[in-house]
Amino acid sequence: MKISLNWLKQYVALDASVDELKRAITLLGFEVEGVINTGLPPLVQVVVGEIKTREKHPNADKLSICTVDVGLAQGGVRTIVCGAPNCDVGNRVPVALPGAILPGDFKIKESKIRGQQSSGMLCAADELGLASQSSGLLLLAADAPIGVALNEIMPEGDTVFDLEVTPNRPDALSHIGMARELAAWFRRPVKFPPTTFRGITNEILRPDILASVRVEAPEDCPLYFGLGLTGVKVGPSPAWLQERLQAVGLRPINNLVDVGNYVMLELGQPLHIFDAKKIKGQQLVVRRAVEGEKLCTLDGKERILSDRMVVIADSAQPLVIAGLMGGANAEVEAQTTDIVIEAACFRPQSIRGTAKRLGLASDSSYRFERGVDPHGTVAAAYRAVDLIQATAGGTVVGPACLVGGDQAWAREIIVSPDYIRERLGFYISDEEMRGALEALNLIIVAAVARPPAVDWTVKIPSYRTDLDRPIDLVEEVLRIYGTDRVPPALAVGPALADGDDDPIAIFNRQVTAYLVGQRFHEVVNYTLRSRQELATWVSDTAAAELALANPFVDDQSHLRPTLVLGLLAALKLNQSRGVPATQLFETGRVFMELNGTVQEYLGAAFLLCHNPKERSWLARSAPDFYTVKQHLMILAQQAGIDWASAELRPISGAGWGWQEGHAAVAGESSIGWSVCGGLLDLTMVRAAGVEGTVWAGMLAILPEKLTSSAGHRRYQPFSLFPTVLRDLALVVAAARPAEEVRRALLGIAQASTGAAFAIEAVEIFDVYRGQGLPEGKKSLGFSLSFRSQERTLTDDEVNAVFTKIQQQIVADGSITVRA
Amino acid sequence: MQVTLSALLAKASAEFVGLQSRADFEAAKARYVGPNGELTALMKQMGAVPKEQRPALGKLINEAKGQLQGQLDAALARISSAEIAAQLGAAIDPTLPSPDAGPGTSHPLTLVREEMCRILRKAGFAVVEGPEVETEYYCFDALSTPADHPARDAQDTFYFPAQARFGNISKKVAGEKYLLRTHTSSVQIRTMLKGKPPLRVVSPGRVYRRDTSDATHSANFHQIECLYVDKNVTVRDLKALLDYIFASLLGKNTKTRFRPHYFGYTEPSFEVDLSAQHLPKVNKEWIEIGGCGMVDPAVFEGVGYDSTVWTGYAFGMGLERLAMLMYGIDDIRYFYQNDLRFLKQFT
Repeated sequence: MKISLNWLKQYVALDASVDELKRAITLLGFEVEGVINTGLPPLVQVVVGEIKTREKHPNADKLSICTVDVGLAQGGVRTIVCGAPNCDVGNRVPVALPGAILPGDFKIKESKIRGQQSSGMLCAADELGLASQSSGLLLLAADAPIGVALNEIMPEGDTVFDLEVTPNRPDALSHIGMARELAAWFRRPVKFPPTTFRGITNEILRPDILASVRVEAPEDCPLYFGLGLTGVKVGPSPAWLQERLQAVGLRPINNLVDVGNYVMLELGQPLHIFDAKKIKGQQLVVRRAVEGEKLCTLDGKERILSDRMVVIADSAQPLVIAGLMGGANAEVEAQTTDIVIEAACFRPQSIRGTAKRLGLASDSSYRFERGVDPHGTVAAAYRAVDLIQATAGGTVVGPACLVGGDQAWAREIIVSPDYIRERLGFYISDEEMRGALEALNLIIVAAVARPPAVDWTVKIPSYRTDLDRPIDLVEEVLRIYGTDRVPPALAVGPALADGDDDPIAIFNRQVTAYLVGQRFHEVVNYTLRSRQELATWVSDTAAAELALANPFVDDQSHLRPTLVLGLLAALKLNQSRGVPATQLFETGRVFMELNGTVQEYLGAAFLLCHNPKERSWLARSAPDFYTVKQHLMILAQQAGIDWASAELRPISGAGWGWQEGHAAVAGESSIGWSVCGGLLDLTMVRAAGVEGTVWAGMLAILPEKLTSSAGHRRYQPFSLFPTVLRDLALVVAAARPAEEVRRALLGIAQASTGAAFAIEAVEIFDVYRGQGLPEGKKSLGFSLSFRSQERTLTDDEVNAVFTKIQQQIVADGSITVRA
Repeated sequence: MQVTLSALLAKASAEFVGLQSRADFEAAKARYVGPNGELTALMKQMGAVPKEQRPALGKLINEAKGQLQGQLDAALARISSAEIAAQLGAAIDPTLPSPDAGPGTSHPLTLVREEMCRILRKAGFAVVEGPEVETEYYCFDALSTPADHPARDAQDTFYFPAQARFGNISKKVAGEKYLLRTHTSSVQIRTMLKGKPPLRVVSPGRVYRRDTSDATHSANFHQIECLYVDKNVTVRDLKALLDYIFASLLGKNTKTRFRPHYFGYTEPSFEVDLSAQHLPKVNKEWIEIGGCGMVDPAVFEGVGYDSTVWTGYAFGMGLERLAMLMYGIDDIRYFYQNDLRFLKQFT
């Protein structure tokens, strides 16, 4: 909202500087988004002069040497060098004399320009701060008095503040509103505009102008006032009125329309002015529109209305979309003589809904949506009558039609000054609080002693719809006291901070620390991804289940079910910019569906890229599945997953972009976590425009499955006696998982050693396929380590057990011992 | 015998000089001092020597043995050092770069978030988390957002279709719609409903607005919010916390200022301005950094806290905005592009 300083000064005496005013407005709670200065700023030593002679500068093609009469008081005729093309003899122009300071802190001095004396400067509009650019000197009227200060003959400058008004303060959406606020800040009285018209006294009844008003939608229109005038003469507004509107960015139309706008900007009450001759049947009806009803609005657009919208209609058709915009069919025209002024209140929700559905907003709807003061509505119409009669003439005629508006307004808040001090946490005296409240017209009408306290009854003006509880008055006191005056204090924490950080935060920290330590770079991607991407990389089900109802752009329409796609996109971006990238990770929420229900998971994912094009003077081995597996295992442990019980199984089938035979998964949605990783599908990666071979891994776990650390672990004693090692090679079917064989072997070994001593570990150290083995078989080399807690083992006792193990492992026939 | 010994020594030393490998060395050693070695053979002849000659001969043999051992040691040392030299290869050039990747990096948003959490931890605030998919109750209703408030509009908020079901996100009101949270304030509501006052919590997290992406706007961004609920919490306490946070984060010459503002869930409400002209690219006296206020009594009543007993404050701000201010970053999109030349600058 734009507020003109000159206009404000009509209602409150303001002598503060623009900076002080800006600060006051800001601290009152209105953000100043811009300050625009219009008109001529106050200037000294800038006067009217007349060019007497003009000669070409001997040393410069584009310069002229002028003699200029600036009046006897300024020293008569001066010589001034000028570069403007229009410094013609006889022109009266602004002259900045030595000593003048022009906008931009440009100081004018006696000087020599290309060897020629110049005592002053002839000015263009931009040099005076009147325009952002200009092409020549500012030409003044031929009768502008020579020697007179330019400020005396130019219109006064103005300052326009562009303000953001919060939605709780509709009362501030006018010059009077802001004047009330600034008057409170500076403790000045508000001067309301004098009104001479105070209701109909002459009793001229002209039902042929407006006979009656019928409100058929009283819940949407609690108050409607219509008043007729006859004999008005449409024409341009007087200069002062045009100037006010132009200052705040409105285009003057004609005196009637301009008065309507002026009153709205002055008092905050939007008005509508009808050409009475266009009201068929001379009755205005406030009603819901008929579904599909059409109205061509003033902006030339045809609007299709619905039955949730309110219109002002005559007996035949809608004339106005209530509170939003008039129809072209009832517009005031040059030949209009009889008019009806509408001043009404509409339910904010109704106006907001209509504006939204029509995609239409106006200065009027902006105010109605936030709520206008019903107690100022009729007064605004009276103010308009005064201004119309002053600018367009005319006579008020009856009957004045007032429907509704009979709700009594009385609101009082009981608050004690102690309560305000308790909420603020610092001392403000009772007197200062009273002063602050009363400056805002919040009058303490009663003070009831409740020793040692006192309760104030504060009367709330009708326009302050935002105040209805004691806490609301705390803010009012603080606003006027100054929110920048809250005294400093030391922040005080509790003696002991109870409660630990959420397990999610702790998990994220651990994962991040681990992966950063493993030389991964953390990236952050958008949660929303495209349907196409999900369909290609994940599944059609995901693309269906994870869709937003109202995406903003097509490529951000779905929740991400994986972090890998973002990692791949980050990899691609870096490759395309020639930035080597090999290891990336991200943590964040992912969304996966199971049987039609989506769950929000915590995700942690990483990506490794081996790009043969990136050369190195010293080769390092490429990552592989087992690099991924190790990272996944550590992430799983950080999430508190019991990895020992997790079965990594090969991923088969399409979806999620894994390369079949080179990726694996553990866990699943139904148990609340899953871990997957491996090689990304080579063809898909290439099709996505990514170079090299890409491995990835992701952990997803339901937040509720994470638990706080289970306290401290207990120490386990370990043996100080030596191990005895035995190697065993077993031949099994090539497709058989090695871990399955290892567990079988471990189980037998544990059973065979019994209580005498322990099998400490069974580890795979070799995998072999090929020559010397039957087709479809592989050999797994295991190292078995035996150790006792109490003594050094002998070869004999270990050999006995080892023999037993070898006999038992072949028992089911699926395993043979390799010679 | 002496002649024999001398000849033996001469032969041995000529042979030892030429030894190249450990195997040759062991063979040569065996030939002279092994059980069947030549010197050993000579020593075995001692028994046949007359008793009176034995001391002199023994001395001679011992001398020869000592000389032989010295030559063997020298040969072994020579072979060992040759082996080590072969194992070592050419000397390194310390100026060649390591082919291994440089250090990993945390994202700047992570760094700022963690720093804020550390600072708040000192003031007793513990991190709380909540879901990013929320319901209308937690995101709007419980925060006193009117039913027709523009923030709830499908114009500004991402919603899910009416039939969407989220298994681990609880609804408060039957039939309410799922949406992507527009602020982390929803976590405050969940925390208050789950816990009991007093509370000191901080909720960092990702939030969503249906907005055009440009240099200062992003479809998702991050917020960090504090909530303090206790008896007798005042406006002055809130100001003290903010002064402490920003002095800790940005330096002691950072000032904060309150401006009255309006939020549905706090009263009074303020916007917080920072004066931090020592930071890069700061050319305004006051920069808006976040919103705050005293928790509105209606919010307390909504979560079942007696608003005549409990008071509190809340404060929230955008992490991207804070990171941009701290690091002098001028485009929010850099946080989501993940160009490593950007990401590597912050740790």
